Amino acid sequence: MGKKGFKLILGVLFTVIFIYSSVVFAEQGDKDNGKKIYEKKCWWCHGEKGEGNGPAAEFLNPPPRDFTLGVYKYKSSPPGQVARDEDIFRIISDGMPGTMLGTAMPAWKDVLSEKDRWDLVAYVKSMTDLFQTEKASGEISLGSAVSSSEESINKGKEAFKKAKCFECHGENGKGDAIKKLKDDWGFRVWPRNLTKPWTFRAGSEPKDIFTRVSVGIPGTPMPAFADPKSETKLTDEERWHVVNYVKSIADDTKKLKEGEIVVKAKYVEGNLSEDVHAPEWNNAPPTAYQLVPQIIAKERFFKPTIDGVTVRALFNDKEIAFLLEWDDRTKSVPGDADAEKLSEGEVFEDAIAIQLPTSIPEAMQKPYFGHGDKEMGVNQWYWSSGSTSGAQTVKVIDSTGLGSGKARDTAKTDVKGKGEYKAGVWRVILKRSLTTANAKDELQFEAGKFIPIGVASWDGSNGEKGSKHTMTTWYWVLLEPKAGSKVYTYPAAAIIVLVVGQLWFARGMRKEYEK
Amino acid sequence: MKKLIQAVILILVFYLILKVGIPALGSFLHHGTWPVVPTALMRIYMFFVVAGVLLYLTFNEESAKELGKPIKEIYGSPEKGGLRMIVIAIIALFGGYVTYQNVKPSFEAPIELRSIHPAPPSSVEMWGKTYNLMTLTNPFRADKANYEKNAKEGGIVFFKNCFYCHGDKLDGKGHYYSGVSPLPANFVDVGTIAQLQESFLFWRIGTGGPGLPKEGAPWRSAMPIWQHFLSEEEIWKVILFLYDYTGHSPRTF
Repeated sequence: MGKKGFKLILGVLFTVIFIYSSVVFAEQGDKDNGKKIYEKKCWWCHGEKGEGNGPAAEFLNPPPRDFTLGVYKYKSSPPGQVARDEDIFRIISDGMPGTMLGTAMPAWKDVLSEKDRWDLVAYVKSMTDLFQTEKASGEISLGSAVSSSEESINKGKEAFKKAKCFECHGENGKGDAIKKLKDDWGFRVWPRNLTKPWTFRAGSEPKDIFTRVSVGIPGTPMPAFADPKSETKLTDEERWHVVNYVKSIADDTKKLKEGEIVVKAKYVEGNLSEDVHAPEWNNAPPTAYQLVPQIIAKERFFKPTIDGVTVRALFNDKEIAFLLEWDDRTKSVPGDADAEKLSEGEVFEDAIAIQLPTSIPEAMQKPYFGHGDKEMGVNQWYWSSGSTSGAQTVKVIDSTGLGSGKARDTAKTDVKGKGEYKAGVWRVILKRSLTTANAKDELQFEAGKFIPIGVASWDGSNGEKGSKHTMTTWYWVLLEPKAGSKVYTYPAAAIIVLVVGQLWFARGMRKEYEK
Repeated sequence: MKKLIQAVILILVFYLILKVGIPALGSFLHHGTWPVVPTALMRIYMFFVVAGVLLYLTFNEESAKELGKPIKEIYGSPEKGGLRMIVIAIIALFGGYVTYQNVKPSFEAPIELRSIHPAPPSSVEMWGKTYNLMTLTNPFRADKANYEKNAKEGGIVFFKNCFYCHGDKLDGKGHYYSGVSPLPANFVDVGTIAQLQESFLFWRIGTGGPGLPKEGAPWRSAMPIWQHFLSEEEIWKVILFLYDYTGHSPRTF
């Protein structure tokens, strides 16, 4: 037998063992071993008996899965059937992508062996009687995938309308619901913002989206569009078009890009418009920041609805303007009946603020990122959305430590702000002159210098007010330095010096060489 | 010619070690990271590399001569006029390019170095009491009979207060970790709690980010001041849990 034949047999043997072992692990998962691992790693969130009520549960939104009902949100079996073992195994292994918005389920495959993970599947399945009598027939039929094209995207858009997806996901897929939704456990659930595929809980590959549209999300209002009994059934082909449509509306300007933490303010000639749709903004590069809830000082806050903000900036010879853009499913207007219907409790105003140090730090030291400190203070430009009885407002708050903030007399500031809410998106402009008379307590902008900046945001329909908000730590804004002539003169001078120097050196060498 | 090529290759090898080797090693030690050497540090290293290589290759007169020979030939030899012009042009243009790179507007965020585990003070005040960090020990470590129970209670403290940043797996990757800078500590890593005394953790937890000395950049750390939320007992128990779950032992010397 040749070497090749031997390798082939070895390969086949390994494949067989591999497949066989997965089958064995899957079918004969060792419940008792699963229990041991569960009690070390899982119960903290999912609870001792798997009821989804561990010590961490009250701080999580969405809440940890309750295993005692046997209902799994992310499954790939046909509508009406229980989840497949592979579905449970997948979530344990890979966790839930898009962990930014409070899904704490991590991927366990780097710390637990494949066998351990199958044992966990066996154990969590044993927490309900459901799996003793029911079994999934297999994975749902994927039909024949339709590759993306303009035509397919348009058809998908039509199907999105026909199946009334917009009723929850909003006209533009931002998840700006016109309904207050609850799941079977009585928890508030938010329709997915389809323009942020990186937050899709069970993956954003076309196959993942197709599966979700087809079988729905059990336990939630998301229906199964492959269900023959459904009034809004979509064919395999239509569902693939929907997949392509959903893929096409992703908004990358809202996605965090690793290492990109500087807002690059662009210089413009002429006036800075206060219009959030002014074409100049297309030239200002977007920088996306993650917003995390304020969990540092009392009173802390754990269940945010907003996960990020995109910042752009423009400046001219006199002023600087920031455009803050963030997806918010609800326009929170205190006093407004529609807003009250959607809100968790009392409606407060939506708001956004940027924080800057009172002066550009000379060295590394900055003010404490939470409202500054006694050594170095901060200025906060705070915009709020107004109510049915009052217009939008802008305040400047000076602070030298938590709780010390004081709103400045409106006569002593020229910060202006204006916001617009449209189809699930807030866009707010905050504008100020580059330099002010009050150089002692107020940041004086200077091109070419890195200036610390932080952002905070409040969703008034989510009980966010005061210390309950989302925020960033320090990032940077840089006013694009004017290139100036040195960009050309310095390299030119270097080239001349090097040519002359080398010629002179060559003359010396020649003399020596001739000797 | 040989010596000159040797010099160029040596410098190139060192450059690649710094540029690719060190990040690769970092990536191997801490999965998913690619820790590049900061540009400023890179310049200092390369200065020493070039100086070192030149010293090594010119340690006696003969080899210094050999190293200089091709240079002398290119600049001096009457037959090599064409090559000379090309070399002069390349070097001049390279100099122009480097200058341009240095004067063109840069949007790269400044690098902020901070001491991750700065030296602790000798004593610290918390809850109005003074603790001597030199002699302080975890009272629950001695209580062998109730160890399991205390560690579990510490775990509950962890999963009510710490895991959103430090992670379900204690790997520093909780669901909010990427929104804070500096990133939360990874307790599984051998470079954190495994290197520290329990009293150090007690100080870091109790006084949080604002309790750091200046070299620790207290203005950036998002670590809360836990004495405002937790009791002394809870902090000691959570410390017990961190070592129990990760399998590390605290440094005792």
